[in-house]
Amino acid sequence: MSNIDRRDFLKLVGAGSVGAGAGFMLAESIKHPVEYLIPYVVPPEDFSHGIATWYNSVCSMCPAGCGITVRTREGRAKKIEGNPSHPVNQGRLCALGQAGLQVLYNPDRLTAPMERTGDRGSGSFAQITWEDGLTRTAEHLASLHKNGQGNRVAFLSTGVRGHFASLLELFMEALGSDRLLHYDFAHPHTLYAANKRFFGEESLPYYDLQNTRFLLSFGADYLGRWISPVHHGLGFGHSRQGRATGRLRTVQIEPRMSISGAAADQWIPARPGTEGHLALGLAHHIVAEGGYAGDDRENWVAALRPYSVSRVADQTGVAPDTITRLADAFADTQPSLAIGGGAAGNCSNGVATLVAVNALNYLVGNLGKRGGLLFNPTPAFGSSSHPRQASYRMLSELAEDARNGQIEVLIINGANPVFNLPSAAGFEQAMAEIPFIVSLSSFLDETTAMADLILPSHTYLESWGDDSPEPGMGFAVGAISQPVVSPLYNTRASGDIILGLAQQMDLGEALPWDSMEDFLKARWREIYERGAPADKLNDFESFWRSILQAGVWGEKTQNSASTFALDPNLVDNIGVEAAVFSGDSEVYPFVLHPYLSNAFYDGRGANLPWMQELPDPLTSVVYGSWVEMNPLTAKKLGLSEGDLVRVESPHGEITAPVFVYPGIMPDVIAMPIGQGHAEFGRYAKDRGVNPISILAPLMDPDSGSLAWGGTRVKIEATGRQAKLLKIGGESRQLGREIIQTSSNREGANEHAQINSIPISVVSS
Amino acid sequence: MDKLQYADVNRDVVRSLVETGPRYYTALFIAIGVTLACFFFPWFYQLYYGIGAAGMNHPAVWGTYLASFIFWIGLSHSGTLLSCVLHLTNSEWRKAMYRSAEAMTLFSLMVAATMVLVHVGRPWFVHWTMPYPNQMELWPNFRSPLLFDVMAVATYLTGSSIFIYMGAIPDFAAVRDRTSGWRRHMYVLLSLGWRGTDKQWHRLGWAYTFLAVLIIPLAVSVHSIVSWDFAMSIVPALHQTIFAPYFVVGAIYSGTAGIVTVMFVLRKYMNFEQYITRVHFDNLGKLMLVLSLIWTYINILEVFTGWYSGTSTELEAMKYKMFGYYAPLYWEMIAFCAVAPLLLISKRFRTSFVPMLILSVAVNIGMYTERFLIVTTSLSRQYLPDAWGLYVPSLVEVSILIGSLALFTTLFLIFVKIFPSVSIYEVKETMATPNRRPSEEGVPQWQPTS
Amino acid sequence: MNFFDRFTKGWQKYRKPGYYEEFDYAWTMTIDLDRCTGCSACVTACQAENNIPIVGEKAFAKGRQMQWIRIERYWEGEYPNAKLSFIPMLCQQCDAAPCETVCPVSATYHNQDGLNTQIYNRCIGTRACAVYCPYEVRYFNYNDHHWDAPLDQQLNPDVTVREKGVMEKCTFCIQRIRTAKDEAKDDGRRRVRDGDVQPACVQTCPTEALVFGDRKDPQSKVSKKLKDPRAYRVLEELNTLPSVVYLKKVDADG
Ligand SMILES: Nc1nc2c(c(=O)[nH]1)N[C@H]1C(S)=C(S)[C@@H](COP(=O)(O)OP(=O)(O)OC[C@H]3O[C@@H](n4cnc5c(=O)[nH]c(N)nc54)[C@H](O)[C@@H]3O)O[C@H]1N2
Ligand code: SF4
Ligand code: SF4
Ligand code: SF4
Ligand code: SF4
Ligand code: SF4
Repeated sequence: MSNIDRRDFLKLVGAGSVGAGAGFMLAESIKHPVEYLIPYVVPPEDFSHGIATWYNSVCSMCPAGCGITVRTREGRAKKIEGNPSHPVNQGRLCALGQAGLQVLYNPDRLTAPMERTGDRGSGSFAQITWEDGLTRTAEHLASLHKNGQGNRVAFLSTGVRGHFASLLELFMEALGSDRLLHYDFAHPHTLYAANKRFFGEESLPYYDLQNTRFLLSFGADYLGRWISPVHHGLGFGHSRQGRATGRLRTVQIEPRMSISGAAADQWIPARPGTEGHLALGLAHHIVAEGGYAGDDRENWVAALRPYSVSRVADQTGVAPDTITRLADAFADTQPSLAIGGGAAGNCSNGVATLVAVNALNYLVGNLGKRGGLLFNPTPAFGSSSHPRQASYRMLSELAEDARNGQIEVLIINGANPVFNLPSAAGFEQAMAEIPFIVSLSSFLDETTAMADLILPSHTYLESWGDDSPEPGMGFAVGAISQPVVSPLYNTRASGDIILGLAQQMDLGEALPWDSMEDFLKARWREIYERGAPADKLNDFESFWRSILQAGVWGEKTQNSASTFALDPNLVDNIGVEAAVFSGDSEVYPFVLHPYLSNAFYDGRGANLPWMQELPDPLTSVVYGSWVEMNPLTAKKLGLSEGDLVRVESPHGEITAPVFVYPGIMPDVIAMPIGQGHAEFGRYAKDRGVNPISILAPLMDPDSGSLAWGGTRVKIEATGRQAKLLKIGGESRQLGREIIQTSSNREGANEHAQINSIPISVVSS
Repeated sequence: MDKLQYADVNRDVVRSLVETGPRYYTALFIAIGVTLACFFFPWFYQLYYGIGAAGMNHPAVWGTYLASFIFWIGLSHSGTLLSCVLHLTNSEWRKAMYRSAEAMTLFSLMVAATMVLVHVGRPWFVHWTMPYPNQMELWPNFRSPLLFDVMAVATYLTGSSIFIYMGAIPDFAAVRDRTSGWRRHMYVLLSLGWRGTDKQWHRLGWAYTFLAVLIIPLAVSVHSIVSWDFAMSIVPALHQTIFAPYFVVGAIYSGTAGIVTVMFVLRKYMNFEQYITRVHFDNLGKLMLVLSLIWTYINILEVFTGWYSGTSTELEAMKYKMFGYYAPLYWEMIAFCAVAPLLLISKRFRTSFVPMLILSVAVNIGMYTERFLIVTTSLSRQYLPDAWGLYVPSLVEVSILIGSLALFTTLFLIFVKIFPSVSIYEVKETMATPNRRPSEEGVPQWQPTS
Repeated sequence: MNFFDRFTKGWQKYRKPGYYEEFDYAWTMTIDLDRCTGCSACVTACQAENNIPIVGEKAFAKGRQMQWIRIERYWEGEYPNAKLSFIPMLCQQCDAAPCETVCPVSATYHNQDGLNTQIYNRCIGTRACAVYCPYEVRYFNYNDHHWDAPLDQQLNPDVTVREKGVMEKCTFCIQRIRTAKDEAKDDGRRRVRDGDVQPACVQTCPTEALVFGDRKDPQSKVSKKLKDPRAYRVLEELNTLPSVVYLKKVDADG
């Protein structure tokens, strides 16, 4: 080595360092940075796990109002689970409820108040302070209020209940405005209207799924997104395989098989808009066969005369013997229950259809009966969302007023009408006429993008509130929604924003509370005072704490036995008219059947990555929209899966790939609602299409609700292809007996040796 | 070989080692370039990004990398195995070709081993498959066919390396005595002090034969074990008892074809026309014909047993293989490996160099396809139809496949400059004994000139 | 005992999962197909509990979804008599798990509770276990996954985040089992009581199609479910002895 001189040495060192450096960089760039969570599979010997804290609250992802309990660690929310004590969901949650954490931790949340800097809808905003934002809003409102023009303020909220709803009412009242509207696309207006007409009460009854023996659903996807899916799921599971009184049989009538249709023992496709006729056809058969013996039997016979089985069979496309067998089963299996909604309630004859469904229940004596349809008491506190729920007609009126310059200020709280209304409604254009729009949303959705000022609110997991579920549980029940983590950003609770505005506008007299929490406690103090002395805890504070801990509160006032008398006029006018469809059937041969998506509900879940990547239960498609059509239709049109087609209605067109779906009528085209957002964060934006946008501005005249099942479309191939993202490979079992079935309905005594499940380990 | 003298053999072989023309450098440069560009860079990208750079997915979790692994292992088969068999049966024609054949074994095994590294998700931990004492007292799982595989390949690699090295010691010595400079230093080391004494010859012969006997079962077991990676699973169309012989036959088949290709190239470009002759091609052709018939038979059996099972799982897997997405490849394989080799029946075909080259390449393309189909068509059609999928190789995978060929070529090119690629002493054994009668110039002394 | 018997016996022992004579617990899940509606709440619950990444649109297109429990759907018949059935598919926690025998580094093995565990730190990513698993419930990390901030704040600290190159799958929510065992120990109980552990999917299932418990406890809910004549195991013929038992869907025609 002695002949290495200094230069060689330096060269070698240099080369070595470069080599080592390169090697190091190579190694470093391959390595995963850090693994920072502690694996539990084999935990370290000395590891002691941290203790989680659980907070009870209320799910706000849909109007069902399930109770939740949130697991937190080190101040972060980790997992949402159902609150086992809450009677609605009894510890269970749906997929969307599970995903609530991604609302809280969504990367696209609005983090501070902002004002608009670009054109309306351009989405360019600049940050401002809360003082600034509140003052500017309060000034606008105050000047109108002083001039007695309070009614020029409109407030459009997503459906809210409980004391926050009361707070909004107080605020708008103090302002002198009656333009307080709630808007949920899927609110069952027709169901309320039908109940009002039939029972005289504009409320939802309790459907006693867990005790019924025969469930006949007209279009109501009760296991999907209809009213209270988790509660229905509980009832369904229990009545299917959890009770001693025999297995529930379900029949689903709808043009396109929904989740409930798949779960049903029998799925019966009936032409869209003829569900009411079918109900009356069943009624006709039941009455004719002597299944009804009431005093007004003759009136029924007369009223139902036009609904003979053969005629109804023609109208609905359901075979006559199917109708008679169904009618017999419905009348003979007691208690039975007929429910209606979804597609059946979304045609121009929606109210009449649902009245007909109620009539079925009436005729076989399912009303006020265990296992049938039970009536609820009025909500225990606060207000219900329904009286304020805006129908399509009401929103059109609001838009008209806006166009006529009667609306000066519009406050938006969570509602997203720009997305959730047909383009034909022209709501977006009407909004453009409103001088000042404030949004309290947590996200930059399509409607918020139109705002002049954004005062972003907390998510439900950061704010105070309470809720009384609707439909109730047969007794008054409520739950407190409490913050489970401290707010992530410079946002405020909607209630606090309202109270802050009230303070700045000197409405302190009507709204004297400092914060939503104060307001809530003040109102709950009243409930506490109201309680029977025997039930009372020592003081209000312990009462309050106990409710927070339990997460739910119920009054012992059981619903009294129902006294129900049918309006005799009703019987004579029981008929269902043919549904009106928008679009000439020659030009537009298919009926468009939009349905609420399991993951996104009415579109509000589309910004949650878990929901985007959740395979649709029926098609397994993720990340996008699709057009479902019958295999025969697809064949006729020469289309196959993934072919991009233009779906054109008289009111617009959208393009989406075909999904060939065996469970849909040949002249019906179905599309899920929820995708197709133009805004709403990185996960939702510009993904898929929004079928609501091409719906006709068609209403059910009785309720004023949008007849969103009443649009006809035509299908044109674009010649292009899109890859439908889905997990399903081959959807047939090929005789492999993966899903095995048992023909024994009660599940007894069938090859009784199942000792083949060994307790110990493999024996050889 | 009448005109060929012992001295000519020495001269020709040493020339192949020391005289390096621009053609060689061009070839080497291209091979190294392609190796870097198509193998190492994409691999690095894959290490950085994750196996996701390849096309594998759920349920097709295995892909081209593993197909290449089996292919290279297969290619490795004919070399050493054939050489051993022929050595033990004293086949004269073996002697000119066995060295390059064995080298092929060695390098395909090396490339196969790198394919494993390319294939696994965390190659930086691949040493965990080795049973070495460690602080955590963790051992590999000796029940795993994959572990058998690691052991088998490692053993085969060791055995083949020793075998080829041992057989080359006298040649190293011969070259040592004819070279100078750094080469001489190198061959001094490599020849381990070989002087050609009777004792040395005797020991070499004994040890060589001993190893040959040892390696034959080893080679057979290696590809049986490789087949078990698949056959020990319960994947429809993979869970087959015939797989071990199927793989062994396939391996020898593709290996034999590989030898034909390599011999053609050596003969042509290293001027070994006098050593590698029609006899070699004729004999190898016969061997290939036999192998192709056995291979075809097993393929027919595979289809027959699949059909005979009557189960949806087997039938669907078979249907997919023969008529599914990759059906063109299946029929290409049948054409190349079962139909085309029937030409070998003709002696004229067997003794024509270019047609033999074309056929040998076609057979190996077909055999690569076979491996590709085994991996990709079975995993895509398993028990639960809802989980069926499709595997399409990505650009990275295709590139690495091309790069692995270049890697093999690079290694081979380096080899031919270090190892005498034709065995000097064994070729001499096949030659007529030199005239030992005294001549005017005196008794010819066969000794190194230097 | 002659040599042959000794050998056979030894081999049998060696063949036993984890070489155990008997498990401490035998965790079992029953899935009532007559209850399951395919609602997929279990899928999201599992994702939330187990730090399962969103793979993104691109990776999904390549078929690299990661949900540890998935809903498979099978159609039968043609319109108008088309029928659709769902089956939740998760790791069956086989007692004779083919995935275990093939792993060269024992990264997946049987533990004392009869669970098929996956040791991410040990996995070298051969993916052989996924080939050997007939239920296709093993999911491979084809690349590192990323949570857009602050979505990472939701990550469960009791569950690790897996890096590229390792295999993962349903663990029966082992972190919950561990916690329940710890708590039982702290309470001075010897065993976990029935109902103390509920995996995330079981916890949320609206129809209570999923039931979880210890089949060594004859009084447990799950043991009772196992006595249902509808009980069967998927691909029973493969003799993998799953710990997930399905209850047949009832086909009440007409
Ligand atoms: N190398 C090195 N050794 C040292 C020292 C040093 O400086 N360097 N310092 C020495 C000194 S001065 C000291 S005091 C000792 C300290 O030595 P240790 O007492 O061992 O201290 P730590 O390692 O800090 O923590 C012990 C364990 O407690 C856990 N833990 C944390 N919070 C809680 C809790 O709320 N409940 C329970 N049950 N567990 C919890 C932690 O996760 C950790 O596993 O080390 C001594 N040894
Ligand atoms: S049904 Fe689902 S989204 Fe609606 S409240 Fe219940 S858990 Fe939340
Ligand atoms: S949550 Fe329950 S009902 Fe819903 S898909 Fe999962 S197992 Fe089925
Ligand atoms: S289901 Fe698959 S992954 Fe789970 S234990 Fe069985 S073989 Fe292994
Ligand atoms: S992927 Fe991991 S767990 Fe699976 S066999 Fe390979 S090393 Fe074992
Ligand atoms: S048991 Fe746990 S890990 Fe397994 S699928 Fe259910 S939630 Fe996921």
